[in-house]
Amino acid sequence: MSTPATIWRSHKKLNLYLNKTGRLLVWTKILVAPAGFEHQTPYLVGIIQFDPPAGGERMPLQIVDCEEKDLKINLKVITVIRKIGKAKSEDVIEYGLKVKPI
Amino acid sequence: MRIKILGTGLTKFGELWDKSLLDLALDASQEAINDSRLTINDIDAVFVGNMLSSKIESQDQLGALIASSLGITNGSFRVEAACASGGLAVHLAIQSLFAGTYKNILVVGAEKMTDIPGSEIVAALMGAGSEGERKAGLTFPALYALMAKAHMQKFGTTRAHLASVAVKNHYHASLNEKAQFRFEVTEEKVLESPVISSPFTLFDASPISDGAGAIILSSDLSLQKQGSKNNVYITASTVATDTVGLSERKSLIEIAATKQAAQKALKQAGVEISDIKIAEVHDCFTIAEILAMEDLGFCPKGLGGDFVYQGHTKLGGKIPVNTSGGLKACGHPVGATGVKQIIEVANQLQQRAGQRQVKNANLGLTHNVGGSGATAVVHILQS
Repeated sequence: MSTPATIWRSHKKLNLYLNKTGRLLVWTKILVAPAGFEHQTPYLVGIIQFDPPAGGERMPLQIVDCEEKDLKINLKVITVIRKIGKAKSEDVIEYGLKVKPI
Repeated sequence: MRIKILGTGLTKFGELWDKSLLDLALDASQEAINDSRLTINDIDAVFVGNMLSSKIESQDQLGALIASSLGITNGSFRVEAACASGGLAVHLAIQSLFAGTYKNILVVGAEKMTDIPGSEIVAALMGAGSEGERKAGLTFPALYALMAKAHMQKFGTTRAHLASVAVKNHYHASLNEKAQFRFEVTEEKVLESPVISSPFTLFDASPISDGAGAIILSSDLSLQKQGSKNNVYITASTVATDTVGLSERKSLIEIAATKQAAQKALKQAGVEISDIKIAEVHDCFTIAEILAMEDLGFCPKGLGGDFVYQGHTKLGGKIPVNTSGGLKACGHPVGATGVKQIIEVANQLQQRAGQRQVKNANLGLTHNVGGSGATAVVHILQS
């Protein structure tokens, strides 16, 4: 569950990943979503392999500004900041990382 | 090692509106105690496998709740490892028997999942994933879909291969009166049902289920289980773990924890994988059974899809897998699954599996996975 404290903590690391490029290893289109994400369906999520020097690490991220037919293995992507899930009316709106094709 | 299974009890799996989590746990426990011919006073401790009672029922201290309701006060413990909670509870009970702390233990795996809406149970199950996976809006169908995609890309595994797991397990479940889905499905039905997370359709996924299973384990090998042709022993119990997040693993096309736990188990029991006559494996999604076939060593890496498709794992085949119907069609009340797997294999080894009986079954294996592969528990049973 996201709270102002957990969002503040996770955002301390967010700047390390801004404007990072990587490639798409594998993806899925989700049509049945968990609570908080139902309004986004269908949406795309992939495993992204970041280019060095981001450490070459992998991360699961939503893929935006494209459709499933645009995706292919090793597609070049770049991180963007977008709204995460749907905040309840009194909650803090959370922003975080997603990727879009370059 | 040798631990005796003295009794088993299993509720029906499904949407059981009139039963609470406690009702289910007590029904299975009482049946197991009756089956063992022991009395409540002979039970030294209760181990409970459960994942979600804190979230769904707002109930903690589940160990004490179930034990006290049975009239047992010697000690009780709740064990949690997501969908491997049941298997891990059995493993820990066995360690306690070996330590000599207890002699007879009741292990009960129980889960009540149908009391909350679908999107909330999908979110609750994501507790078994990583923070990054939750923020990406991932679900367990989606995580296994990513593994399926990687397997399809690397080995040419097809949608028909995946569907064959569901078709086989529905057939097995049609012969199991405890199963949630007692009907057969065709390949076309699996392929044409609605997509939940590409490439998976609804019929690639195990259901949301209520249910409980219980077994009585004993270190006293002189105790005879009455009314049964064969005594059944657990001769290996092993656990391995890996990263909780899928993307942090070395490989997306295998579950390394399964390989590690299986290799340890075969060594512990002193048997080869080719000796195994029957297995209950963790088929939460169709790809999971294909991965299990490969990672347990029943077939080479990359050939799991064809191995299932060819019918080798169907009743009457080389190595019948998931004769209960598996998680896919018998149902998957997450904390109960690992215990149910042991009950199915024990029933097979005691020649009391009815229409599903595998002839000459004397050596069986169970394989229970937590999350997308962070925990794997393997047991080997012999008669």
